[in-house]
Amino acid sequence: MNEAYAIPAVAVVVLATVLIGGFGLRISRTTSDFYVASRTVGPRLNAAAISGEYLSAASFLGVAGLLLVHGPDMLWYPVGYTAGYLVLLVFVAAPLRRSGAYTLPDFAEGRLESREVRRVVSMFVVGAGWLYLVPQLQGAGLTLQILTGAPRWFGGALVAAVVILAVAAGGMRSITFVQAFQYWLKLTALLVPAFFLVLAWHGDGGSPPTFPSTDLPSAGVGAGQPLATSRADHPLYATYGLIVATFLGTMGLPHVVVRFYTSPNGRAARRTTVVVLALVGVFYLLPPLYGWLGRIYAPELTAAQDADATVLLLPGRMVDGVAGDLLGALVAGGAFAAFLSTASGLTMAVAGVVSQDVLPARGVRHFRLGVLLAMAVPLGGALLVDGVPVADAVGMAFAVSASSFCPLLVLGIWWRRLTPPGALAGLFLGGGSALLAVTLTVSGAATSGWLHTLLAWPAVWSVPVGFLAMILVSLATPDAIPTHTTATMTRLHLPETLWSGSLRPPGLQGRGELRDQPYTTRTHDEAQGPTARREHK
Amino acid sequence: MSELRRQVVTGEPRTVHGAAGLPGLRTQGEIDEQTTLGAAYVRSLMRSQLRAGIAAFVVLAVPVAVLPLFFGALRNGPVEWLVLGFGCYPFLVLIAWWYVRRAERNERDFADLVRGRTPEHGPQ
Amino acid sequence: MTGTVTATLLALCPLLLGAGFLLGRRTAHPDGRSDVGTPVERATFETLHTASLAAPALRAGLTEDTARKSARRLRTLLGTDALALTNRSAVLAWDGTAEQAHAKYVMEEVTPVLAAGRSVAFDCGCDAVDCPLRWAVAAPVVADGRVLGAVVAYAPRESAVLARAADEVARWVSVQLELAELDRSRTRLIEAEIKALRAQISPHFIFNSLAAIASFVRTDPERARELLLEFADFTRYSFRRHGEFTTLADELHSIDQYLALVRARFGDRLAVTLQIAPEVLPVTLPFLCLQPLVENAVKHGLEGAVTRSRISIRATDAGAEAEVVIEDDGVGMDPDALRAILRGEADGSTGIGLSNVDERLRQVFGDTYGLVIETEVGAGMKITVRIPKYRAGVYAP
Repeated sequence: MNEAYAIPAVAVVVLATVLIGGFGLRISRTTSDFYVASRTVGPRLNAAAISGEYLSAASFLGVAGLLLVHGPDMLWYPVGYTAGYLVLLVFVAAPLRRSGAYTLPDFAEGRLESREVRRVVSMFVVGAGWLYLVPQLQGAGLTLQILTGAPRWFGGALVAAVVILAVAAGGMRSITFVQAFQYWLKLTALLVPAFFLVLAWHGDGGSPPTFPSTDLPSAGVGAGQPLATSRADHPLYATYGLIVATFLGTMGLPHVVVRFYTSPNGRAARRTTVVVLALVGVFYLLPPLYGWLGRIYAPELTAAQDADATVLLLPGRMVDGVAGDLLGALVAGGAFAAFLSTASGLTMAVAGVVSQDVLPARGVRHFRLGVLLAMAVPLGGALLVDGVPVADAVGMAFAVSASSFCPLLVLGIWWRRLTPPGALAGLFLGGGSALLAVTLTVSGAATSGWLHTLLAWPAVWSVPVGFLAMILVSLATPDAIPTHTTATMTRLHLPETLWSGSLRPPGLQGRGELRDQPYTTRTHDEAQGPTARREHK
Repeated sequence: MSELRRQVVTGEPRTVHGAAGLPGLRTQGEIDEQTTLGAAYVRSLMRSQLRAGIAAFVVLAVPVAVLPLFFGALRNGPVEWLVLGFGCYPFLVLIAWWYVRRAERNERDFADLVRGRTPEHGPQ
Repeated sequence: MTGTVTATLLALCPLLLGAGFLLGRRTAHPDGRSDVGTPVERATFETLHTASLAAPALRAGLTEDTARKSARRLRTLLGTDALALTNRSAVLAWDGTAEQAHAKYVMEEVTPVLAAGRSVAFDCGCDAVDCPLRWAVAAPVVADGRVLGAVVAYAPRESAVLARAADEVARWVSVQLELAELDRSRTRLIEAEIKALRAQISPHFIFNSLAAIASFVRTDPERARELLLEFADFTRYSFRRHGEFTTLADELHSIDQYLALVRARFGDRLAVTLQIAPEVLPVTLPFLCLQPLVENAVKHGLEGAVTRSRISIRATDAGAEAEVVIEDDGVGMDPDALRAILRGEADGSTGIGLSNVDERLRQVFGDTYGLVIETEVGAGMKITVRIPKYRAGVYAP
């Protein structure tokens, strides 16, 4: 890898992020183009922003690395990351927007009318957010090490510093534009090199790689990978574990939830989610390609964490000279975009929860303190942790989210008899047990056998535990059903067009029509109106 | 904007109403909602939306539940690569598209139903 | 590998802390086994707790519903066999035994209490041998100097302690009802002020706008027509009768129309800059709560001798909150006068908009969400409004 190109690429990405963040506000100098300035975020822009925030280091680097090491079974990761949005769409998207909640604790408080549940949900949000942030920072460390030979801690610290500065200083004011830009950047950064790589592969004779059989013996896997070895023990169970976690975990990720607030109404939230599905799906066509080519051109990368570097190293290996260096720089820039966008989205979400529910007083200064807290802990974690593959670490955050937030959201939205004690029981038994299992796995309490497999892929049992606990305890405490449940359910499911009597000016969506209509009639009138007056003159 | 230094002025804290949210306002809004649209109406909308959601989920879940077993028995890398790497994404988008159309139609039908009759009558 | 453990444990910290906190609170509840204080202290805690449970119902006023909810708590408080709550004309709630036998005589017995506003004790004279209710004390509930009703406590035998306790409970109920009245009148006052604000638009502004529009009718009929549409839209929004809350998008839209009308009259004397982060447009806020601030800025800007005054409106995303800043370079204001206005001591109509907005924001979002105004005579004015993105019970219609 040639540093001369890669470092400027990373610098450009960082700079562009900060600039778009700072100046991307819609500014209008006169009131006449106010309408442009005040138009809400449309489904396509919002979807690109959601996708930009969502496609993290795990997607950009991790998926290809896992495919390289473990073969096509790992394709369930990108499929799960995408299908999670489908599950979110069919059960959660529109009602969540209509709840008016900005964060998951908001939703919990509004639905269950309980401050206690709010506090507990806040703690889980912070926990899951931190779990998700650690691999982002690790990925940054790995990338920068490969690019420049800098020590591992440096990349993580750099991303943390940029995010803290940008978010805390108010530099990320127009986060939607930044994130949408990051999506297209990431897609380009994988698509363009992929094109040249396929050409090069074709030039080399186009022989397909040797596929490992599905129950790949962990040849070449370093000892520091307990999760990977477990897969060889019971691959089928592990596959189901990751399917459940990713399919059901997406809806609870803190940075995903806050984005739905930007949609003007429930219907737009739904349409946005469909576009997200398409955008994310298109992106995920690419990482498997890198994993596939990696098996041919970089088969020795299967050791320890190095597999995550496949995407970064392939262009240099397959394309010679300056072209290879340039493509490598592009990929490096995209990887940094991945760390920055996901890390800043998560930090915003976690900091919002920390400043609202953890720190006592409120205000902008406290939000900044929240940002520091939200970043400091995972940074500490990333500096201490080494050896867990990026995609696996993210998978753990998904498992925790699937076992705690998924039951809360699905039952909260569709089941009238959910009670605060039931929700608490589900959160602690489902989410708590998943978190415990993840902790035990990472600490190496059991390194082989069924016990280890069960702990490493907890979602298969912890999600049912969460649901069951919520349902049974709710049924046992019928007196605790929130007073306003009927009204809340009405708000969650009623289309906005029916929200009030006749006098309401149509919703945000309808407002455009309201404005546009007079203009069309005006141009229509112009044919007769002014001429008629001219005659009068 | 000016050379003169501005002073910061805020209102005095009112300790009585330290807690947020006006209970009165909230109740008012809820009474409005409950009287204009019967709870039974909303339940029927919820049922139709849940049916659409579950239908989409089943169409997703059944193949997903079977595929790992299938691939395990098949032991054919390229097929798995093709199905999971390329084939499934259009399928996902298709389900999503179908669901959104269905959900929006449910909402339109519901709006027609509510506007067509006086809400006090209840559903038939 | 130990590093991994440490990191995950760090991530677990908030959860463990929280679980411990909740468990701690659970076990600390007064069931007698814990080591929290003497029996007397525990009894006090229990009494205070019961009283706090009865308070919310009463704070909504004295009705059959609230009386029923609070009567149970009040009876627990007094430890009697039966307790009745009345208003001036009927028994609102009866809690405890023997309702059949006694409830019908209550109003008869409390007539002197309602008339004189003093407590009365009486024998029940019950015929049934096994009836536990033999003696009762009725204490008046007084708010704002008027007797609203009575608390009647029944006992098997005469008891001075109960008489005194019933008196105290009635007094406590009175205080709650007075507070309820205060709440209601405050809400009424604010509603009246909103109406006044809406009405305020009419004479002055409507006349000026129509005059400006009229001046364009001959010279620029197209513009006149556009302005008339803006005017219609603007008034429709301002006179909207439905709902206390609106979205930032709708409020800004109305401000845009207002500014278009103002510019029609003053043309280039006013330069307006808007910066709006689209993420905050769905935020819900009290109806007509930015428009008066913009109106204020326009007024200050045009009062100044400057040839061209600038107004900027910025709405930015700040995590869980939205921040709206309205700034002008106009005549500014004496900070002390402004403080008086915000205290509600303004004379006439100056700044009624500001204090009303401040009051409503605090009432809806909490005390920390009042206006922050930076100003000095001749130094323009900058008003900062913070709006939480979510607050339970705050929904746009």
